[in-house]
Amino acid sequence: MQIDYKLKDKFELGIFFPALFLIIIGLLAVFSATSNNPAAEGNFQKQLFWAVLSIVIFFIVYFLPTNTFRMISIPAYLFSLLLLVIVLVAGKKVSGARSWLDLGLLGFQPAEFAKIGTILALSAFLSRRNTDIESFSDIIKALSIGFIPVALILLEPDMGTSFVFVGLILTLIFWKGISLFGLFLVLSPAMVAVASLFGTIYFISAVVIVLAALLFFKKNIFFSGSIIAFNIGAGFFTDYVYNALSPHQQKRIQSFIDPMADPLGAGYNAIQAKVAIGSGGFFGKGFLNGNQTQLQYIPEQWTDFIYCVIGEEFGFIGSIVTLGLFFFLFIRILRTASVAKDEFLSLLIIGILSVYFIHLLINIGMVLGIMPVIGIPLPFVSYGGSSLLVNVFMLGIIANIYRTRKEYT
Amino acid sequence: MRTKFFASPTRRSIIIILIASVFGLFAFRLFQMQVVQHQAYDEKSAGNSIKAMEQTPLRGVFLDRNGKVLVDNIPAYTLRVTPVDYDTSLNKILETILDAEPGYISRILLNNRIYSKYVPIRIKRGISFEVVSWLEENEQHLAGVDYIVEMQRGYPGGIMGSHMFGYTKEISPQQLEKENEYYNPGDYVGHNGIEKTYEHVLRGEKGYNYVLVDSKRKEIGRYKEGLRDETSVKGHDLMLSIDADAQLVAEHEFIGKRGALVAIEPATGEIIALVSAPDYDLNEFSYVTSREFLSKLYNDPDKPSFNRATMSVKPPGSTYKILSAIAALDMGVITPQTTFFCGGSFTFGRSFKCHGAHGSVNVIQAIEKSCNVFFYNLIYKIGLDKFAEYSRRFGFSGKTGIDIGEEVPGFIPKTDYFIKMYGEKWPRSIMASLAIGQGEVSVTPLQLAQYTALIANNGKSFTPHIAKGYADDNTKKLIPFNFNKLNVNIRQEVFDIVKQGMYLVVNGAGTATHIRMIELNISGKTGTAQNPHGKDHALFICFAPSENPKIAVAVVVENVGFGATHAAPIAKKVIEAYLLKDKLKQKDEMLLPKIDDKIAGASFAD
Repeated sequence: MQIDYKLKDKFELGIFFPALFLIIIGLLAVFSATSNNPAAEGNFQKQLFWAVLSIVIFFIVYFLPTNTFRMISIPAYLFSLLLLVIVLVAGKKVSGARSWLDLGLLGFQPAEFAKIGTILALSAFLSRRNTDIESFSDIIKALSIGFIPVALILLEPDMGTSFVFVGLILTLIFWKGISLFGLFLVLSPAMVAVASLFGTIYFISAVVIVLAALLFFKKNIFFSGSIIAFNIGAGFFTDYVYNALSPHQQKRIQSFIDPMADPLGAGYNAIQAKVAIGSGGFFGKGFLNGNQTQLQYIPEQWTDFIYCVIGEEFGFIGSIVTLGLFFFLFIRILRTASVAKDEFLSLLIIGILSVYFIHLLINIGMVLGIMPVIGIPLPFVSYGGSSLLVNVFMLGIIANIYRTRKEYT
Repeated sequence: MRTKFFASPTRRSIIIILIASVFGLFAFRLFQMQVVQHQAYDEKSAGNSIKAMEQTPLRGVFLDRNGKVLVDNIPAYTLRVTPVDYDTSLNKILETILDAEPGYISRILLNNRIYSKYVPIRIKRGISFEVVSWLEENEQHLAGVDYIVEMQRGYPGGIMGSHMFGYTKEISPQQLEKENEYYNPGDYVGHNGIEKTYEHVLRGEKGYNYVLVDSKRKEIGRYKEGLRDETSVKGHDLMLSIDADAQLVAEHEFIGKRGALVAIEPATGEIIALVSAPDYDLNEFSYVTSREFLSKLYNDPDKPSFNRATMSVKPPGSTYKILSAIAALDMGVITPQTTFFCGGSFTFGRSFKCHGAHGSVNVIQAIEKSCNVFFYNLIYKIGLDKFAEYSRRFGFSGKTGIDIGEEVPGFIPKTDYFIKMYGEKWPRSIMASLAIGQGEVSVTPLQLAQYTALIANNGKSFTPHIAKGYADDNTKKLIPFNFNKLNVNIRQEVFDIVKQGMYLVVNGAGTATHIRMIELNISGKTGTAQNPHGKDHALFICFAPSENPKIAVAVVVENVGFGATHAAPIAKKVIEAYLLKDKLKQKDEMLLPKIDDKIAGASFAD
């Protein structure tokens, strides 16, 4: 009993095991999705290799001195930015985005590593002794740290990952303790920007809501006027960005608004994904028996549409179990974030949680047809080496912080 | 600088609520899709990936009245190309092998480009065995080229049966629209003759093999290992009343002639033989009909595609004298003892000739000698409208209702017709020639055969028909079709009298004594229909045996002259083939090589 207690005290089983189960579910799903597809031959073996390697990495990170993270935060961030610039120049184009850096034997996506760098740097900045999250200049500084990688990633262009960064930045400043007004200042342009995508009426309504909020906060006219101007600017900027998007990404946004408008084009994946999940039923069609999956109705299903394999072959039960593992994991991570008394470490955990959560939100939301089709992997489950390694690396950071939580108060 | 809100329980709760609501939403959505709407998605998924491959059922075969196969199914080879694996540089060599014009294959592929490139496209049906061998020898050089076996109609007995069997043909868009619950585009359907009339009996039930296809419609395996497959059900075999021997002899007799023959079993209305000459080879229609064949068929001045047995109308000539005699006897305007004097001609307004001077003749002698004068006298006693009524009773000027469709009613005039043509004061002299089956009367060979059958069987028979019934697949029993009963309602004595005359035509001093035979007695009546456009048409009606008729035959040979000379011998041959089968067979055995040659059908085609 004594040993057991000690292990639990040092090692958060509630974080390790859900993640391990998710990786195993992911391996099964990848096996199923690739078993009948000559184009994906060997993908399961690759993923199995990454899975084993990632567990090794998890324990390496777990045993690192916790101080390491603070020490590497600035260099890691700068290195990430460097990689993001390099990928824009020398990257390989994969499905329309210049996001891959090919290093001969192995390729990876710098944007994945930039997540760690950005969380580290932003957490470090926010936890500085003299950072005042209520001061305008510090908010701008924090946003700058966050949005430099976002800008670089948008240039690739990789919209999905950009969303993750935006969510990550907002979560960190929220956890840091930004006031309601401060949050409003940061959020309102984003709201107006999204609204403008849907059309003029939505754009105008959003601006009206911002105006009402400003009246509520009762700030001075000049300040309020600048905020309104900034918001309207954000709306037009979005329009500009939308026009700058590649046609296939524009189509994806349009097809979300009405997937049936183009059932064989951009809406095709969305429809087939829903058919796969819905036809799974309560118990599923059985492992390797999902016809949508086995007959390759969804292209590259082992990556972003992996949840369909689970939904189709393991049914409602399998889908809910998977969802439950994520939920349990997230709550445990959140608890660790509250337990960690050190501000930097707590922010670090919350940042990581936000990355996981936004990935899940966009990915599963997409396959369930309540989010647009935005290519982004499901953490631990989707096929892909860099994604898995980075996710497990971040999980290692959380486990590490849990291990030493009593030393950092 | 630590803010008062850093990691506050409130913020923590907000994050928990946010996470929980997203998970709640997802769980709700999963429940909605996978449990509530499962059925709808399942159907979509099945429709996506399960493809029903139609299995064409085997068509029922035709058997003759003795169970001999007349029409069956034989395998035919179809060459196909699967575009995804196919290299169009092979077009040239394949076109040479198939004897097709350049561009033939690319045209077909272009027409079928809307299908997935994994779906095999039929390039040519009915390819020869030589082509199949060539395909097999060169298989490794012919990626994307294969052949399948499909069934087509075969005619094993050497019997043509062109006009009664009919042929199958790709379904027309009009018919497809009407019967879309069974047929699909490209299906073959009975187009005419027996094939058309009994389509629903012959076609069987389609089967389906369920296969899995991927998103590109490429076949990748069976669905549930074929457990859900439905096997096709073969169509019912049809038993015809045709006698293969009689039919074969009749067809043989008509080679090089134009005309028709219909033989009926008097008691049942069953058609024993039906020939329309010239005929054509149904094999040409069994899959794809060549354009050359069709243009030859339709441009032939002898019109081989025209069914003379049911569609050609001619004056019946002297064969119609029996009808006049029956009408007069039945009406009582003459008795068997009534005589008229024939001095070689009859005068009514103008002079009508007889082909001899028969002296004083009664009705039996008049039939035997085919005396025109006797019948010229009769018609004025019968009257035009009664004449038309008796004609109608025997099935003239109306369709018989035979089960092969195409048929014309022919024409027998009534008073109002002449009034319309010539006015109230129409010359009564026109009537005279009607009594001897000349002038404005027209009948089909089939009507003549039905008329003969009715006489032979004393006025009772059934609607003429070719199909007796179909074989029940479980019990192997014949399920008979029902046909209308016919009854002309005429006294037995009348038939006895005219039949005496018909007996004497062959067996007395009549017009067809040259077909008299030892084995059995034939009763008949010759006829010659005047033809203003050329040589006369020869006609002969008869039944045999005279005492107990088993077969009634009507023969029409166009543009050859006298009926006795040209038509009667054909009828005799058919009667022999039908009634003296066994005796003939014995003879056949002695002359085996020669006859065998005939039956093989090779000599026919020349």
